[in-house]
Amino acid sequence: MSSEEEIFNELKGVFGEKLIDHKVQKRRVYIRVFNDAYKDVIRYLVNNKGIYHLETITATELKDGIEIMAHLGMDTSISIRTTISKEEPKIPSICDIIVGAEFYEREIHDLLGVTFEGHPNPIRFVLPDDWPEGVHPLKKSFETKHNAPLREGVE
Amino acid sequence: MSTFDIPIGPQHPALPEPLLLKLEVEGETVVGVDFDVSYMHRGIEKLLETKTYFQGLPLVERICGICNAAHGVCYTLNVEKLYDKEIPLRAQYLRLIIEELSRIHSHLLWLGVAAFEIGFNTMFMYTWRDREHVMDMLESITGNRITTEYSQIGGVRRDISQELAGKLLKTMDIVEERTKYYIKVALTERTIAKRTQGIGYLSTADAKSTCSVGPIVRSSGVKFDVRASDPYTAHDEVPFNVITSDSCDVFGRVVVRAQELLECVNMIRYAIKHLPQGPFRIKLPWKPNAGEALTRVEAPRGELLHYTLSDGNLKPYRYKVRTPTLANLGALRAMLTSKGRYVVNIGDVPITYGSIDPCICCTARVHFIDVTKGRSWIWTLDEIRERSKRGRLLR
Repeated sequence: MSSEEEIFNELKGVFGEKLIDHKVQKRRVYIRVFNDAYKDVIRYLVNNKGIYHLETITATELKDGIEIMAHLGMDTSISIRTTISKEEPKIPSICDIIVGAEFYEREIHDLLGVTFEGHPNPIRFVLPDDWPEGVHPLKKSFETKHNAPLREGVE
Repeated sequence: MSTFDIPIGPQHPALPEPLLLKLEVEGETVVGVDFDVSYMHRGIEKLLETKTYFQGLPLVERICGICNAAHGVCYTLNVEKLYDKEIPLRAQYLRLIIEELSRIHSHLLWLGVAAFEIGFNTMFMYTWRDREHVMDMLESITGNRITTEYSQIGGVRRDISQELAGKLLKTMDIVEERTKYYIKVALTERTIAKRTQGIGYLSTADAKSTCSVGPIVRSSGVKFDVRASDPYTAHDEVPFNVITSDSCDVFGRVVVRAQELLECVNMIRYAIKHLPQGPFRIKLPWKPNAGEALTRVEAPRGELLHYTLSDGNLKPYRYKVRTPTLANLGALRAMLTSKGRYVVNIGDVPITYGSIDPCICCTARVHFIDVTKGRSWIWTLDEIRERSKRGRLLR
């Protein structure tokens, strides 16, 4: 496996301006890309570099949007990150490239309300059946409080 | 022939975990499957955002009662990456020892569960008896059988004395002898072969495409172990072999886990022999630097991943945990919906499901044992709170 910098330089050669910046940690490189290049970069890594293992997808609500990060690789890992808007959180699904992404994308949809376009099975995954529609607990606007009483009149 | 839906779970005698399997069956064979895992979502990621890094450790250890050492090690390694401090090597070796001990107990536990699922109760009793030796060692080293909280931010909680190290080596001799016997049983016993060979088939291509991890992917012939590919603690210094099997079925998973036990034994022996001198813990400030960190650890069930984003405050801005069982759900679906020669019968669903070693959580009370006086008692949370305010926990 090539080193962290080599991976970035190769991707830079292929995708050019679509890559915004990168950050190197030990055996890991974080690469920030534009929204429209997110899926293409992952497809390139899977098809041309043979990096088939998806560790997970993480989503974080930041001040100016929701950051989606796909972590790929076994030894030297590559984290492809992109920021999508909070008002219309939409990103193409990568399930057609990596089958294993299905559960991670469904989890993010439940917890942060991100829509993965083209997801084969976009139904509720981790939240209970009686959870209200449109409430996403990992959003910063969702406040944690103690459980409400199960029956009326019981404190 | 028309298909028929059978729901199994979330509470079912054959499944050891609150998971709902919606099986689509045609006659006796499974043709489709869907999962519902929502019965277990506890909101730990959200809860971690409300706790300081040091308060989060006891919570993280309770994500899983069996892989607690892996979760603890992963959490502490991850948070330590936010500080620019070198952690003492002795602490890393001690973490490795506790991690491998917990792997031994988890694999022995699984061998017992798997034997139970296929109706081989003698082996179930044997492995669980031998697991007690390991549990006793865990208790001697850390003070607790499970939820050990041995790994702390900055090092480990206790040192290992010379005497304890000798005791640990003796336990390793017992585990090695018994494991060799189990491997012999697994390879020669007809009961095991008949109920595991060709069951729960997962091809190498499926194992790769579903991004499965741990003994599942290794039993499908893929050499993937985080300890080797992304070494943490002292794994880059302690030699070991990555065990793989090409049989791609439950039998392979039995063999891989049994042989990994021997590797764990050798690693613990090596670590004790080469245990470096020096401090076992350093003090770190409450507030880490701003930044992000991602750590992968090979838990007994496979690759475990923790990610944190810190904005320089006392509490994490975001904490993400990806457990190995979630990564293996795709593999489980591929196994259950195998076609042709490896089609799954309803009777084989429990062992196929059990073969991914799904995680169980428990513990809702605190049990105290006073070793010197030979008494034991249980306290409620309020009692503990009251006593911790007064600054003493023992009666």
